[in-house]
Amino acid sequence: MGQERFADVVERFTSGDGAASGVSPEVVKQWQEEIDKQRRRLENLHRLVTNPTEPKVGQTPREEIYRKNKSRLYRYASSRRYRTPLLFVPNLGISRPYIFDLLPNGSFIEHMTREGYDFYLLDWGVFGPEDNDLTVEDCVTRILPRMAQKVLESSGASELNVLGYCMGAPISASFVATYPEVPVKNFIDMAGPIDFSKVGLFGLWLKKEYFNVDRFVDTLGSVPADLVKAGFKLIKPTMDLSTNLNLWWNLWNDQYVESFQALNKWANEYVAFPGEFFRQWVRDFYQENKLYRGELVMRGRRVRLQSITCPVFVVGAKEDYIAPPECVRALLGAVASREKEYVELPGGHISLIAGRGAARHCWPKVSGWLASRS
Amino acid sequence: MADTTANQLFEFWKKQLEEGTQAWARLVSQTPAAPPPDPFSFWRPVLDQGLQTWATLFAQTPASPDLLGQWKQFLDQWIEGWSKVLGQAMGTEQFAKLMGQSLDQMLVSQAPVKKAMDQGIEQALQSLNVPSRSQVTAVAKQIVELEDRLERIEDAVGAVLRRLDKEPR
Repeated sequence: MGQERFADVVERFTSGDGAASGVSPEVVKQWQEEIDKQRRRLENLHRLVTNPTEPKVGQTPREEIYRKNKSRLYRYASSRRYRTPLLFVPNLGISRPYIFDLLPNGSFIEHMTREGYDFYLLDWGVFGPEDNDLTVEDCVTRILPRMAQKVLESSGASELNVLGYCMGAPISASFVATYPEVPVKNFIDMAGPIDFSKVGLFGLWLKKEYFNVDRFVDTLGSVPADLVKAGFKLIKPTMDLSTNLNLWWNLWNDQYVESFQALNKWANEYVAFPGEFFRQWVRDFYQENKLYRGELVMRGRRVRLQSITCPVFVVGAKEDYIAPPECVRALLGAVASREKEYVELPGGHISLIAGRGAARHCWPKVSGWLASRS
Repeated sequence: MADTTANQLFEFWKKQLEEGTQAWARLVSQTPAAPPPDPFSFWRPVLDQGLQTWATLFAQTPASPDLLGQWKQFLDQWIEGWSKVLGQAMGTEQFAKLMGQSLDQMLVSQAPVKKAMDQGIEQALQSLNVPSRSQVTAVAKQIVELEDRLERIEDAVGAVLRRLDKEPR
């Protein structure tokens, strides 16, 4: 019976006498809109397949201030309303940092520069086999101090703010803790794991009993981009399915398609890890939780999070399965700062900082917290 | 007649999903350490809603495009259900152990092959008088080291200049 009725409706539509057959004009209009959407879906699909255009990402104007091996320091154009420059330290490896400046009107960097921050981005770069000896220690003791110095030199400021995102947060926290002589005015941790005993699936998979990091690095030399990709796909295996379903559903919407193309480009551009970096990262941070336990030593200096005394702002994402909120929030209890604040915002690891939700929930919180302190 | 066919389809579909979830339950419950996850808790509402969606779709006259939205919602929940079930399975010590073992096996079997291949390629390139990957990498490493040295010299010169500036003349 049900099938016959549905077939009747289709029949009425195809014969074009919907109103006469008892179908309300509103339903007819809805179906017309749906058919129009379907037509636009097919048009966009055709365009995506036959004429795929490279999305223009990272359009906020910037200049290269300094380069060290593969790493680059960029300064973004802004009104520079605030005197204290902001050094943004993202993750090393895994992905490219243009996610923070994906598209005009949808970019964290654009937001911060519009607000008037003197914004510096550290792009760690794409490492090759010649960089396999690079360690976390090198990043903390050789690259970051120099980058901070260059920020101070080029801005002419006497202090700087540091914002670490994802693995950039524990790396920059290690730097801030190890070099109290560097004048860091404020420190922000966005989705950066600190207590690695609470780090979720990756923490479990990388446990010493199950994952032999020495054998891994000794055999492969580095962590190839394809393996990084496999690891991240495995942590959320249904992601591709839901992404493609949502693409099909929104394929009629040109704006959605444009954003999808940019995000998809980023999401499929994985970056390899230098071998020794990965060894130290997994062993000292994931397996032995040395940063949180105060046992990390870099260039002979003990890294004590207790040495951080500047104001600290920590942002966790409620649905973050890479850096769950509890391992991010741990920074608050580890630092000696008198002024410290934690906020937990809706979204996942990426949507915390990129996308429409981030523009609504996260960016104003970060720029607002910094405003009175910069 | 059509009702009977539709019901048969529902029953067939429902049976398939239930068999799938039972297979998952059996797989996951092999873990002795962790309490076995209950995939039915995820599937039951999803399944019910799917049936509800189909029932509405077939019963409603006239059919409206809203049903497509409901269908999309059902698929979203279906994917989310799978995601949770897989997440639970992958979050067990058993899975981590299995994954570690597979990776180890891969590395153990790959290491001698990779070594032999690297050596073979190295020798072949050497005989052709073409620089090998390791030689190019070594040159690149030297450049990186040179860059570091230059930086250290720059720092030292800068420090000396600053000290000279401070000294009274």
